[in-house]
This record gives sequence, structure tokens and C-alpha cells, in this order.
Amino acid sequence: MFDAFHMLGLLASGSAQPTTEFEDVSLLFKVLGLLVVGAPVIMFATLGIASLLRDRPLSERVIARCVQTGIITGLIASITMLGLMLFWNDTQVPIEFGSWVHVKDYHFVFKFEFDKLSVPFVILTFILCGTIGAFANRYLHRERGFNRFFVLLSLFVVGMVTTSLAGTVETLFTGWELVGLSSALLVAFFHERPAPATNGLHVWIVYRVSDAALLLASIALHHMKGGGDFDKLLTGEWPMVGTPLEPNQAFFVGVLLLVAAMGKSAMVPFSGWLPRAMEGPTPSSAIFYGALSVHLGAFLLLRFSPLLEQSLALRVLIVVVGLSTALFATFAGTVQTDIKSALSFASLSQVGLIFAEIGLGFRYIALVHILGHGCLRTLQFLRAPTLLYDYRTMEDAIGDRLPKFSGAWLNRAEESVRTWYYRLAMERGYLDSYLKNYIVYPFLGILRRCDALEQTWTKMLAGKESSKAPTSEASPTLEELL
Amino acid sequence: MERRSEAVHVHDSLNQTDLPTSTGSDPVVAAELKHLIEKAASLLPSQGPITAFVFLNTLQALEDLPFDEGVQKGARLFGCQPYLTEDNYRDKLTQDRIYLSDLELALKRDLKEQADVTIASVTTRRQLRLAMLQYPLRTGPTEELQWFVAETDALTRLRPDAPSSVRDRFLTETKHWVMRDLRTTVVHSHGQVDHGLRSDHPLPIVELIDRFGKASIERWSAATWEAFTLQALWRTCRNGMFGVTPHVEEKPQIIRHRDVLRQASNFDTDSLVHPVLIRFCAAFADQGFSNWSLPHRDDGFFKSFLAVYSQEGGPPERWMDALPAELTRIAKAKMTPMDSLIESLSILGVPSAEWEDFITASLLALRGWAGLIWQLEVRPDRQAISATPGCLMEFLAIRLILERLALEYAAKETFHYSGPLNELRQVTGSGLEKLSHSSVEQRAFLIFQLAQVLGWSPATLCHINSQDWAELIHEIESFDSMERRRIFHQAFERHFRVQTLDAISVHGVRTPQRVSSPRFQAVFCIDTREESFRRHLEEVAPDAETFGAAGFFSVPMYYKGVADAHYAALCPIVIKPQHWITEEVDSTLEAQNRRRAKTRRVLGTASHNVHQGTRSVAGGAVLTASFGVLASIPLVFRVLFPRMTANIRRHAGRFVEPPPMTRLHLERKSETPGPKGDGIGFSVNEMATMGERLLRDIGLTSGFARIVCFFGHGSFCLNNPHKSCYDCGACSGSAGSPNARALAAILNDPRVREILKSRGLLIPDDVHFLGGLHNTCSDSVTFHDVDRLPESHLADLEYARSALEDACERNAHERCRRFQSAPLDLSFAAARRHVEGRSEDLAQTRPEFGNASNAICFVGRRARLRGLYLDRRCFMHSYEPLADDADCTILGRILGAVVPVCSGINLQYFFSYIDSPGWGCGTKLPHNITSLLGVMDGAASDLRPGLPWQGVEIHEPVRLLMIIETTPDGIRRIMSRSQVVSNIIKNGWVQLALLDADSNRILVYRDDEFHVYEPSITDLPKAPTSADWYRGWREHLGFAQIES
Repeated sequence: MFDAFHMLGLLASGSAQPTTEFEDVSLLFKVLGLLVVGAPVIMFATLGIASLLRDRPLSERVIARCVQTGIITGLIASITMLGLMLFWNDTQVPIEFGSWVHVKDYHFVFKFEFDKLSVPFVILTFILCGTIGAFANRYLHRERGFNRFFVLLSLFVVGMVTTSLAGTVETLFTGWELVGLSSALLVAFFHERPAPATNGLHVWIVYRVSDAALLLASIALHHMKGGGDFDKLLTGEWPMVGTPLEPNQAFFVGVLLLVAAMGKSAMVPFSGWLPRAMEGPTPSSAIFYGALSVHLGAFLLLRFSPLLEQSLALRVLIVVVGLSTALFATFAGTVQTDIKSALSFASLSQVGLIFAEIGLGFRYIALVHILGHGCLRTLQFLRAPTLLYDYRTMEDAIGDRLPKFSGAWLNRAEESVRTWYYRLAMERGYLDSYLKNYIVYPFLGILRRCDALEQTWTKMLAGKESSKAPTSEASPTLEELL
Repeated sequence: MERRSEAVHVHDSLNQTDLPTSTGSDPVVAAELKHLIEKAASLLPSQGPITAFVFLNTLQALEDLPFDEGVQKGARLFGCQPYLTEDNYRDKLTQDRIYLSDLELALKRDLKEQADVTIASVTTRRQLRLAMLQYPLRTGPTEELQWFVAETDALTRLRPDAPSSVRDRFLTETKHWVMRDLRTTVVHSHGQVDHGLRSDHPLPIVELIDRFGKASIERWSAATWEAFTLQALWRTCRNGMFGVTPHVEEKPQIIRHRDVLRQASNFDTDSLVHPVLIRFCAAFADQGFSNWSLPHRDDGFFKSFLAVYSQEGGPPERWMDALPAELTRIAKAKMTPMDSLIESLSILGVPSAEWEDFITASLLALRGWAGLIWQLEVRPDRQAISATPGCLMEFLAIRLILERLALEYAAKETFHYSGPLNELRQVTGSGLEKLSHSSVEQRAFLIFQLAQVLGWSPATLCHINSQDWAELIHEIESFDSMERRRIFHQAFERHFRVQTLDAISVHGVRTPQRVSSPRFQAVFCIDTREESFRRHLEEVAPDAETFGAAGFFSVPMYYKGVADAHYAALCPIVIKPQHWITEEVDSTLEAQNRRRAKTRRVLGTASHNVHQGTRSVAGGAVLTASFGVLASIPLVFRVLFPRMTANIRRHAGRFVEPPPMTRLHLERKSETPGPKGDGIGFSVNEMATMGERLLRDIGLTSGFARIVCFFGHGSFCLNNPHKSCYDCGACSGSAGSPNARALAAILNDPRVREILKSRGLLIPDDVHFLGGLHNTCSDSVTFHDVDRLPESHLADLEYARSALEDACERNAHERCRRFQSAPLDLSFAAARRHVEGRSEDLAQTRPEFGNASNAICFVGRRARLRGLYLDRRCFMHSYEPLADDADCTILGRILGAVVPVCSGINLQYFFSYIDSPGWGCGTKLPHNITSLLGVMDGAASDLRPGLPWQGVEIHEPVRLLMIIETTPDGIRRIMSRSQVVSNIIKNGWVQLALLDADSNRILVYRDDEFHVYEPSITDLPKAPTSADWYRGWREHLGFAQIES
């Protein structure tokens, strides 16, 4: 905080001749950048270490103060950053944290990049997480998991900030993982009941698939270009960027990225996890599945949008995925009877549209759509417990029962067809069952066969019974999950 | 291929069991099943729509059993806790919420003459049981105990909670025994003694001495002696337990196939069945939340399910593969739900003797939803969309069809069993143990622990014979955890009862006197929250007189306000109103009203469109992309500055709210009442009867003040699905101000006064009645129809108003002491601001505590309790015993409502606190509103009736202590007239004490007799004001006399 003000002072004195004081400016940016990234990290470290070292968790007041300080510092720094960037019209500010591995053609760099895409996203993150933090501070008052919630929330902020600001694909992957981990743990927040734990694991498994795709994509990028730096892969300032990748390379990487994005944003056919994720406390559902982490897939595609330019097939694919998800979510949403499921499908339909917008190349619209949708949906999620009161108020104002917006498009269809579709919508498109039948079971089958093969072999080689490998024991639980 | 074979298999199993496949089941069987379902349904939670929260005893169906028997049976059926845990009670023992003397007395009362029976010649039954209550007895699996004994300091250090006197005696006795008797034996008998003859010189101990080093025995340190003694004790206990016939307990028979299968294989078929059932039940019960309603809903649960799930191409879940075929078969055979139910029972192989248990267990497995469906069926007047009779049976029929499929699938997956289901329980359950018995180590460890606190040294125990050992362990095992908790609970209740009765007896010495010529009178609801409010009001205005009455003020009605869309029932749930009342705008303001109503309608439609629009694709896209970012403004401000945003919203709302000048449409023009036109209202005679009844009930028949106010109460808070449970319980979970307003208008009517006068109740002309509302969340008071008040009374109103304002602030202050997030050093005004902030805060899960901590119900004259600090724990109904007749007619009609209502509230809190996730609805945080009727936990779960943990957190679970100002004769007459009252009192679902009308003598009702209460104190603490007494304390506070 003090650093920021100190730097603002510097700024006031140095703004007259920006070009001559280039050193100062870049130092200022570096300090601000450090604050944006460092504040959440320190916040998480404080809360995390305190919970590990102390017998009793910190008091609610201290935790709240810590989160407040961390987030406000980050927010002020990022807004200042945005202001300075606009002032100097310098819309791309990279900040490096050194090169960690450098072997011939390969290198791994830890780098953050402030540009027109990442800064709004970071500001959104800070505003929403700060509000949710203030909300949860009262909402979770005297709850046993109070400390755990805030540790996970700050881990989530670290993940979001890292992902949004990432300047290399490795950095992005780090944040991506942290977001996934904190989400899954918050879904399973009430772990004394079986449902949250099961659903948390479900979310986690889908996230792992998405992580694997992202990891493959980043390995592929390293293979093709020797590094994962965005400024090498994507030339120019966002959104006017190009890429040195060949169209077929772009398509290959793009498909992997799309899979990663689909998992994270619950696109068809992964959509089943989103309504299941409504197990945590209301504020965490709001911020994760209404606002931030559900948009992360779209963000990934925005970040790699030049790749999309290279391949028409890829863009068509994204539009198809986006639109089918939007349609599916609207369709399934019409029969939902509980507010959280209804809101999660509503979220999903918008995220699907955002995907389509990205596929069509409307990047600014997509970005604005993400920001707007995030804010509005968070508010709706937080107010979800007011539903009964809202309905009463609206009924009183209208003076009658609320009119229904029924699916008129199906009215002309035959009775049995309508009923068939109703069941399809109520059972959420059977997506989970299909995944289970066509992916999980075959996958487990292969593993089992491998296990059997291995046992036969070891038996043959050792000439006696070998002990059973643990995989075969773990598999039934996997089966129950999906 | 696989699918087809399974489908075929279903038909195979049908053929094997040779069932009726067409309609027409035996009417006798059908009638019996119907009866059994209704019986089981009475156990289901009786919570209807959550917007009209109703407080009823969670175990109302078991009220014809004595309390302890009832809760224990309920706990078995529901799989919940009947009492707090032993550790909870022991904490209360250390916190002085239970005294040791309470425990002793509770034991003595429970054991009666059995108390002093000697057990195994070492102790008495009472002593043994007291020790078992006082000191926790740990136990565990045999392996764990062996580890515990071997690896921890269990055999080197005496348990730390052993009393020091016992401890010393224990060690000295052993030392004496060893040095005097054993050591010599050891020396002399080395290698040649015949141990069989010398039973008091047991071999293991002799060996033990050797092991500890008998040569240095004189130099053993204190620690060595301690270790030696404990090891000797452990050996003695183990030896004692060898050969004692094992205590065999038959495990309760498992009735549901799912439970058998689950115990045998860990596979839970409910995890397959429930998600489908929950989704379907929610769609069936939906009151208009989803845009696309369930097809064929009007045909009932069964037909609708058949229609939706019988088509091919359904969910590709493996266990549901055969579902369409099975449902088609049922539909083709034109089976009724009853046919299908009978068929399922027979396929599952449930003999008719087991039907009752099986049906009860099957319905209770998803009791929230089953209970809701039952409520939709039996109380169609409480929601817009209800269910047809027989719906619960249809639910059960569907449930069993699904269960059959899931069981077949699970049996195949886990046991590779594909035989008929009627043998499934025997086949899979055969490997399970039917009996449980404790091992020698487990039993020895119990005695080992008790010996240390009771001082049974190895020397003593060595001398008891095997019969004694058997008697001892049997005695210990017969006083099991459930019994201990029962005694603990009795002691806990006794502690509070003694404190209360002492306080009332001391305070009751004062001669009860009504306030002479009061400046104003105020009548409040019976609610515990009004206890503090009345006390503060009397403190700030000693010349005010207060009364308590059930909050619907004897005016049961369906009510519709100017800005309301529907009628709401404003009376206790047990009454079905016969009259409809509306609020109407003053005719001069009609034009304005119409304009505003139109604006409201436009705004309402717009907000509904936005509400729906944000959830649709196109509308959502336009709204979120264009205005979405603007939502951050209300988001941030409402969360960070709740009070400020609330003020802004209130000011904005002024422009559309109905004009303030409204009247109740009270008088009916036509003969018969109805919800429309001339049917609205009461006749003048009906009004007079209601008015007279209330005034006579509370004993306000003379000594009127110039202003008499009636205050209904309601709670206004945000973001809270359970808002209704903070509203008036006597108004079915709505605010009671319309009733107060109606009653005031009735009593102001000169024609009513004329009739009352003819019935001997004279209300002087200068008396004016006013209705109002007490907002229990933000602690504010508002009046209705002030414009009708004669100018001559304005000064009186001003006086009352300022006193009430002061009382509001002080009441808020007293409430704040219980909120952990409110500082203890708040001023009165700051406390008021704090509670206002709570009521406007979206993030607040504890806007108020409702009736939590309720424990007493007083029916009698306020003068008996005026000036006594009752800590917001007492329901208070005014009653004038001297004005009642010999039959206690007035008291009878008061108790007819007060006993079931107050005990219902008390027991709802009781159970929701005792086992929050079980009887209550657990924590609020993951709640998810579903079907506009109730809440689930998270994404999908059973419906959660009951109170949330945040609402009961500060409660102390004790049964309501009713204190009534009447005679034993009077109460017996009332009990003989009313079965409900008699059941609740006789079976001990409330405790009863009578206060003599002329003295401070108290009679306590126990075992159907009245016993004179001997107070244990003669003086109460005194404080100048309530605030002086409670300031600085957060916990429950004792009683005190406030001398203002």
C-alpha cells in the first residue's frame, strides 16, 4: 500500500516528461505488478501458515482483516496500473520473474503480462472476491469451517490472478490448477455429508481432464516453438495479435485448449458438474460458478484468440460447442425446480454464448459479456435465499400468480414427444450417464485389463501369485463417482 | 444385449412369484395398507410450505407415549439422537448448568427404593450409577483397548479425574495388602504353594510382584506403586471377567433390503433411487418456479411418473435399463398404485406382518419429500398447487418400483446374485452377525475405569466371587449410555426447574396488584421475545400496564392487504378461519391508489421479465452484456453498506407503495362469509364475541386506561428462507399486526361496545383502542389507524409512543448481548442501529434468535411476575384466576391453544437443537430453495424441515415448564375436558407447576400427583434496572428482581 502511494508521488513528479524517465516508469510498473500478484500470495501465505502452525485458527476478525487488506491492496494496485497504462497508452506491460530453466531450445519463464485482457479480468477478480469476502465474513460467522473457507478463498484469488496475468503458458497452468483445487475443495466444504464429498470429487475429476488437455497443449507449444511465452507465440498487443504458428499446428493446439476450456467452463458434454457444484456455502457458489471460475475457459480462448484466427475449423468447432451448450443449458434450465440449479444453467447458457462470440471473433463483446455476466450472476446467487420473498413481492405487485414463460416451441409437438423431451431436460441431457457409459467404463475396462495382464505376467515371471495392484481396488469408487 | 436380458429377467421374476397382473386387489388388504400408510405418514415431518412456518412437536405422532419412551422410539425410527451426548451434559456439569446434587436427586427419583441395593458387596446401585454419570467411561473395539492398555499410560497413571481422597485410599490399601498379605506368601510359598486353595493370594498378582522386583519392594517409589496397583487392577478385572456369561444383545432386525445389502456390501441403493425421486418430487411439488411444468401432473404422482419414464430412450443409467419396460407393463396391465404397491411388496418378499415396519422405514428414508407430499395431500388450503388424496401411496408405489430395479442391479453387481428379490435379504444378510457381545477386555476395561474413581482396590476386588463379578458387570451394562443420557437430561431439567420455581416463589411473596389508573395499556403476543419488551416498557413507564395473549388476538381470519395478491391465514395452524378480511384504501385516495397499483404492476411485470430474462439465452445475453456491469453497484453497496442501501431503497419505494390511509373492511354485508365482495368481513355479533373473548381471556374487564394498544409482531429480514419462523407462531408464520388492528377497530365500534355492555362488560367512552406492529428484528413499533384517534387522546398517544421507543432501544440492547458480533459496550441507541443493520443485511444468517432459549410458560396475572428478570425465556399469557368460574372455563380455552402451541414451539426448538442435522435442517449455508416450498442441502438432497442451526444456537433444550395460576382441581377438570392438553401434560411433553392464586405456594405435577414445592432460597439478587443485571454477560442469566 505504502509503496503504491510512494510511487504515485513519483508519478506526479515524473509525469511531465514520461519518455525521459523511462526507468522510473518501468520500475513503477514493476512495483505495481508485484503488488497485484504479491498481495494475494502474501494473504494466502499468512492464512495458510497460520492454520498450519497454530493449534487454534486465527480469530474471525483477524482473518477478515487479512483478506480485506490483501484484496484492497491488490485492487488499488491494479486500478492504478490500469490508469497508468491508459495514461501512457502503454497497453502491454510484461513483468518477469526470471527464467527458471533454459536448455538449448527449451525454456521456462515465470512471467506476468498486463494488457487489455488481463487487467479488466484481474480487477473483476478483486472486486468480486473482495465483496464475497465481506459477505462471507458475516455469512459464515461462527461456522466451524470459517478459517478453511478463507484459506481456500485466498488460494482461489491467487489462482485467478496468476491465470489472468499469466505471460507464459506454464504460469497460466499454475494458476489454472490452483483455481481447480480450491473449487473442488470448496464444493466439498461440508464434508460431513456424503453428497458434497462425492460431488467435489466429480468436479475434481472433470477438472483433471481439462488440466491434462492444457498440459498437453503447453507441451505441444514447447515442442513447436521451444517455449510457452505468449509474446513469442502471439505477436502484437491483445486483441490485435497474430501468431507464428502454422494453421495445422494452431488447430492441434487449439483443440487441446478447447478441451481444457470446455472442462473448466462446463461446456457440453462436461456440463453435468456445474449443477452438482452447488454444494458449498452460497457465497462460494456465487463467485465460482456464477462469476469467475466458470468463465476461465472463455478467458483461455480469448488469450489464445490469434490461434483461432489461423484455423477456420477450430472456430467453427468453438461456435458449435458454445451454441450447443447454450441451447442445452436453456433447455435443461426450463425444468429446474431449485434456484441454484436454475441459476447454474442460466450461467451456463451465457458462457456458451460467450464461447460462440469468441468463435465468431467478437472479442471485445465477449470480454464485456464476461464482466457483465459475472457481476450480475454473483448478485443473483447471493440473493438466491431471497427467492421466496422476491416471488411474493412480484406477485403482490402484479396482483396475481406469476405468468409462466412456457416452452411454446414444443407446444405443437406431439404429447409423447413433449414428455420425452421433458425427461431429457429433467435428467440434464443424460450427459453424466453418457460420459460414464462411453468414457469412464471403457477407460476403467482398459485399466482392469492392463492390471490383469500385468498380474498374468508377473505370475509367469515370478512363478507364483502376486499381490493385487492397488488400481483394481480404487476403481469401484471411481465408478460410483460418475 | 445385456439390456434386453435384464428386462427379460424382470418378467421372469414376475412369473415365478405368480402375481395378480390386472387391477382389482383385495379390498381388505388395500384398506389395511392404506391405514398403515396413514399411520406411517403421521410420523413424517408436518412442515408445509416454508413461507408459513408452523411450529409443531417434531414427534407429535408419539405424544400418546410418555416423553422418554416417545423420544427414544422416535430416535430409533428416525436414526437421530434423543438427548444431547453424555459429553455435552458433562460439560454442563462443569459449567454449573447441572449441579451434582441435581444428578443425585434425579438418580434417587429414578431408582426409588432400588437406590440402596448393594451390588457385588462393593458398592450400592446409586453410587455406581452416579460414578458412571460423573466420569466418562471410554470403550472401543477389543484391539483398540489392547493397544490402549499396552501403549498409553493407562497402566502407569491413575486416571486424572479420580478424586484425590479415593486415590490415596486406593494406593494405601493396595500397599497394605501387598506388604501385609502377599509379600509374606510370596516369600514362604515360593515354588510349593497350592494356588487353588489360596484364592486370596492370586497367582497373577504374585507374579506381578516378582516382575516389579520383590527384593526391592520396600524401596518402590510412589510411581512404581501406582503402576503396580494399576497393573494388578487390570489383571484382577480381566481374571474376574473370564468365565462370566457374555452379555448378548440382539441387533435390531433390519427390515429394508437396502440396509441389509448395504451392511453386507457397502453398496447403497438409495444413492441410485433418491436422485431420481428427488428430482421428480420437486417437479411434482413445484409451485410455479420452473417454466415447464411436469407433464400429466394433474393425473397424480403415479400416472405422471409412468408417463414420463415409460418411454424408451431414457437415461442410459444401467440400473434403469429395465425401467421403461417395467413401467409400460404396469401401464398396460392398468394397475392402480395400490396394485403396484402390493405387487412390489410381494416381489420383495415382505410378509404382511412386516408391512408396517417396512412401509414406515421406506417412507422415512426420504422423509422430507414424503412429508411434503403428505402435506400437499392433507392440507390443500396451504398452497396454490396441491395433491390429490392417495398421493403418498402413489409415491410409495413408485419408490418401491425404483427400489426393486436398484436392488436387482446392486445384487448383481456386488453379489453376482440374480435370483428372485424375495430371497435377497436372506441371501445377502446371511453373512451378517445378528448378535453383538462385548469381549472380556471391553468388559474388564469398564470395571477397570470405575474402580479407579470408586476406589475398588485390587485387594477388594480379589475377594469377590464369580457371582459378584457377574452381578457387577451386569449392573454396569444395564445402565447403558441411553439410560445415562436420560438421567442426565432429567437432572438438567431439574436444575432449571428449581431455579425458576425458587425465583417465582420468592417473587410471589409480593401481593399482586394491578397498576392503579394506568396511563396506557399494551397487549402483546404470548411470545418469549415480548417478555423483555414488556419488562423494559414497564421499567421506562411504571404507570403502564401490559398483558399477554396469543398473537392472533382471537380474530382468526384470511387476510389480504392492499398491496397483497393473495389471502393469508392469520391464526394458529389448528384453526381453519371462516372469515375473509381485506384492507382497503380510503375512498378519497382511491385514484392515487389505482395509479400507484398500476405503477407497481408495471414494475412488477418488468422485474419478473428481468428475473426470467437473465435466465434465458437471448434475454440474458442482452441484459448481461449491456447492464451486467452495473449490477456490481448494488452488489458492492448492498454487501458493504447494508443500512445505507436499505434507506435508499425505502425512499425509492415510497413512490409506489399504497397510500397510507387505509381501512380494514371489517363489516360483512351478506349473511354468509366469503372471499369476495359482500362476503368479506364479520357480522357485528361475531365481532362482539371475539372482542369479549379476548378481553375476558386476559382479564382486562375493568380499570381501562385511556389508550389500549394491541401489538402483533413480525420479523423483517432479508435473504432468509426461514424468515417465516421468526414471525408470529400464532398467525401461522405471518406478522400479526392485521389481527391487532382488526381487534382495535372492533372494540372501538360503538355497536360492539353496546353489545358488550349488555353482556356486563363496560368499556368507558373515553377508552380508545389502537392496533400496531412490533418488528422483532429491527425492534421498532408502528401504529395503525392513528388518524382515527380523537384529538383528545393525542397527548396520551405521544406519551405511550415515547415510552415504547425507549423500550425498543433497551430491548434491542438486551438482545445484542446474545449476538457474538455485537460489542458488549454498545449504548442503547447504538444497539438499535445494530439490530436495524442486521435486518437489512443480505449476509446475515442470524437476523434474530426468535424464540430460542424458551423454557417457561406462565399463565396468570402479570402482577405476579412484574419486576422479575426472566431472560426472554418465558411465554406469558395473562389470565385472571379470580374472574374465572369453578369449571375454569376461561383457563380451559386459554390452555386449549396455549399448551399445544407453546409446547409445539418448545419441542421444535428442543429437537432442532438436540440433533441439528437430524431433526432440524442443519446449517443454513448450503440451503437451496426448491419448488418454492422448502430448502434442500446443496445441489440435491432430501427436503429439510425443522429449524436451522443458526436459529437455535443459543437454545437450551429443556421441556417447557408450564406455570399456571390455578388449583389442582381446576387443571384436572381442564385435562378431563381436553384430550390434547391431557396427553401433553400427563405424558410429560411439558412440565407442569401450579402457583396458588393467594400465596406463593407452588405445586409441582409429577407422576400424576401434585407435590408441594419447597423453595431452596429465600432471596433473589436485585438490580435497579434490567440493563444493570445483564450488562457484560453473553450466556444464559439467572433470575433477578428489578426494582424500578
